[in-house]
Amino acid sequence: MTPLLALALAAADPSGLQLFADANAAYLSGDVSRAVASWEALVSEGIAAPELETNLGAGYLRQGKRGLAALHFERALFLDGGDDDARADLTELRRGNVDRLEGEAEEGGAETAARLLRPLPGFAASIALAVLWGAAWVLLALRVFRRGPRWCSLAAAACFAGALLSALVTWGAAAGRRLALQRAVVVAQSVPAREGPGDKSVSRFEIHEGTTVRVEDEEPGFRRVQLANGLTGWVPAASVELVVPPGWAGRPVAAISPRAAR
Amino acid sequence: MSTRIGRALGLALCLSLPALAAGEVELSATTDAGEVALDGTLLLRISATYSSRGEDGELKLPTFADFEVTGEPSRAEQMSFTFSNGSPSFRRTVTTSIALTPRRTGDLTIEAVKLVARGKTLQTPPIHVRVVPAGQVRGGRSSPDPFDRPADVDPFADVHPGQRDLILRATVDNEHPFVGQQITYSLYLLARANVSSIEKLQLPRLDGFWSEDVEAPQQLVPEQRILDGVPYTAYLLRRRALFALRPGKASIEAAEVQVLTGFGMLFSRGTSRRSSQALRLDVQPLPPGKPPGFDSGNVGQWALTATAEPLAIAVGQPVTFRLVASGKGNVRDLHLPGLGALPGVRAYDPTTTDKESIERGQVNGTRTVEQLLVPERTGSVEIPALTMEIFDPYQKQYRTLHTSPIAVQVLAGQSGAVASVPVAQNLLGGGGLRPIRLRMASVQRATPPWSEPWFWPALALPPVGVALALGLAGVRRALRVDPGDRRVRLARSAAEKRLRGARALLQRGESVAFYAEIARAVTGYLADKQGVAAAGLTREELAAALAAKGHGEETVRRLVRILDDCDRARFAPGSSDAPVRETMLGRAEQVINELDRGRA
Repeated sequence: MTPLLALALAAADPSGLQLFADANAAYLSGDVSRAVASWEALVSEGIAAPELETNLGAGYLRQGKRGLAALHFERALFLDGGDDDARADLTELRRGNVDRLEGEAEEGGAETAARLLRPLPGFAASIALAVLWGAAWVLLALRVFRRGPRWCSLAAAACFAGALLSALVTWGAAAGRRLALQRAVVVAQSVPAREGPGDKSVSRFEIHEGTTVRVEDEEPGFRRVQLANGLTGWVPAASVELVVPPGWAGRPVAAISPRAAR
Repeated sequence: MSTRIGRALGLALCLSLPALAAGEVELSATTDAGEVALDGTLLLRISATYSSRGEDGELKLPTFADFEVTGEPSRAEQMSFTFSNGSPSFRRTVTTSIALTPRRTGDLTIEAVKLVARGKTLQTPPIHVRVVPAGQVRGGRSSPDPFDRPADVDPFADVHPGQRDLILRATVDNEHPFVGQQITYSLYLLARANVSSIEKLQLPRLDGFWSEDVEAPQQLVPEQRILDGVPYTAYLLRRRALFALRPGKASIEAAEVQVLTGFGMLFSRGTSRRSSQALRLDVQPLPPGKPPGFDSGNVGQWALTATAEPLAIAVGQPVTFRLVASGKGNVRDLHLPGLGALPGVRAYDPTTTDKESIERGQVNGTRTVEQLLVPERTGSVEIPALTMEIFDPYQKQYRTLHTSPIAVQVLAGQSGAVASVPVAQNLLGGGGLRPIRLRMASVQRATPPWSEPWFWPALALPPVGVALALGLAGVRRALRVDPGDRRVRLARSAAEKRLRGARALLQRGESVAFYAEIARAVTGYLADKQGVAAAGLTREELAAALAAKGHGEETVRRLVRILDDCDRARFAPGSSDAPVRETMLGRAEQVINELDRGRA
């Protein structure tokens, strides 16, 4: 499957693969700025691949831009929840984060749930759900209307059980995806979290680049974010980037960050 | 007076004999800038200081591989004889100046200069110079030599003693220093009278400054001065190096001295007390444009070098990393860059040692940071280049000092050797940024199926289909017509319809037709509802059939009677009148009702 995809990509856009190879070569030769620019060009062309996002994260980390590095590692994990490189790099990056959340372990339920639900095979499970569900009803109809053989009943029951299991997995994956759609990363070096969506509102605390937050609400120019330990505040919209950008997964564009606008 | 001077010199010479015997030689080399343009010239000063009399040593200049020597080296000699810290000292400094022109751009090195003197070989450390393309040197280069600076300032230029015979004079060599820059505070006694000794010297408090003694003579050394045409004798009482700690206006309060004047025991000995003038300083803040990572204590002219020893080692064995900052300035306030964590290397806490010296009124220092590194993995370990931002108060610009990266080859330890302490051969710990991926193996941008518009209708389709099928089957069942059932269902209504027809015939007076219709209503009902064809049966068979269907005996008898009465009336017309017919209609209705209520 993977080689087929790679071949398809090569046939569709050989220049994209060439640009990716050029960017990698630039990175390995120490020209990190050029590598990052080339990888970003691929992203702006609409290519979304966990390898591309992981490399981009590594490039930004080498440049000291911890927020953008965390953002792209998170995106790599969104695209492939089992990406071990992205997970290890993100863990390494978080060790150096400025923000240390008190009580994260006790109240970080959303973070834990997202981490547990992320690897669920939602795509396959939803397809299986549709197939098994349909098959179960067809077998049931055969049994009821055509006086089909006895195994039709057994097969229908098995299909219903499989559909139920698939539905549970799909539900979990959908819940994880919903959490992922709310995830965002602080990309500004330091930003005050205020009580309201306004520059004159009282600042309650500060958050720093690389910290992962959950976007709960949006107002023009501001986003209401919640940290893993429950701390909540309003920050300028441009200071946090959604892990799943508008345009991926067909989510509506609620607020346009400068990078998204570019 | 000349006799007294002669005695003092003689005494000083006698006291200095032990120091002369020590025969110490110092060698230093400095450049007038750390950065030079390719078309610029660099001045290398090599100072050899001898603390004893004797032959000069042999100076061995390097080959200057990266530079061209411009012109002939110049040579200057300076001698000084001072009482310092209770003992006299003699110093003779021979300075050799060489103008150098760089051959190429980049980080160049002036090799070590050697001096062979008094049986010893001294060597200066290499000097690193950054050479930038022609015309690009930052901030230009000025060459104020901090060694020459204080000596050139005449501390008595603005002194007008008038009729005073004793004056205490305090001076500083720079009234507008930068924060952290050295200024030299000197306290002189100017005398027209004979000064026997200093009984008491009260120096001002030096709040806001970090201070260091430069000279504290224990003996009065006279120096002749002419002030406003009057000869005075100047005695240096104290010289201190000051480093301002904060910007703004600063003041140094007056010093006080108590002087014993006169000759010996007989000639008008007296005590005089004098105060100096207070001094006002304007300490300048460091100029804007501080580079990131600059520490406010890093002010001065510093050079930074890094070494590691040894450069090839077995894993688990220590390497000593040494970072040395040396130069002019307040070394106690210097902040050296840290090495940081090196992957695969265990680093112990660094130790810092400082060494200070006073050289021609200038506080020099060397800060050495030593750190023990123990490689835990085999292979090449690179100790990265370090940078330190400093502010050079003489060039009035920020500079960045660089060290070169150092590669240490770490080899595997000898296998099989029994070690008293277990030493890891190649400790491979986790962590660190992973290498990038070179292939894009997959491309994913699919929205999940449950977000697609077809997903939920597709799930709803099977149960809806089955429900529709069930509904259709029910409708079809409802629409299917069975004549027998239909007859049974419609038997009562058909009988009632015939009874209504019989009533109409009764009203019209058609007696025969009336009874015939009554008989048809009853027999039709029996045929449709009860499934008993009365026409082909005798009355007894009919009664038996109805009894077999569970109808009551009385009901059956009344039915049989009705049928008999109808037959009689049809075949014997005029045998009944209207009331009888009316009763017959009621009887027929009653029997049909009873049959309908009974078991079918």
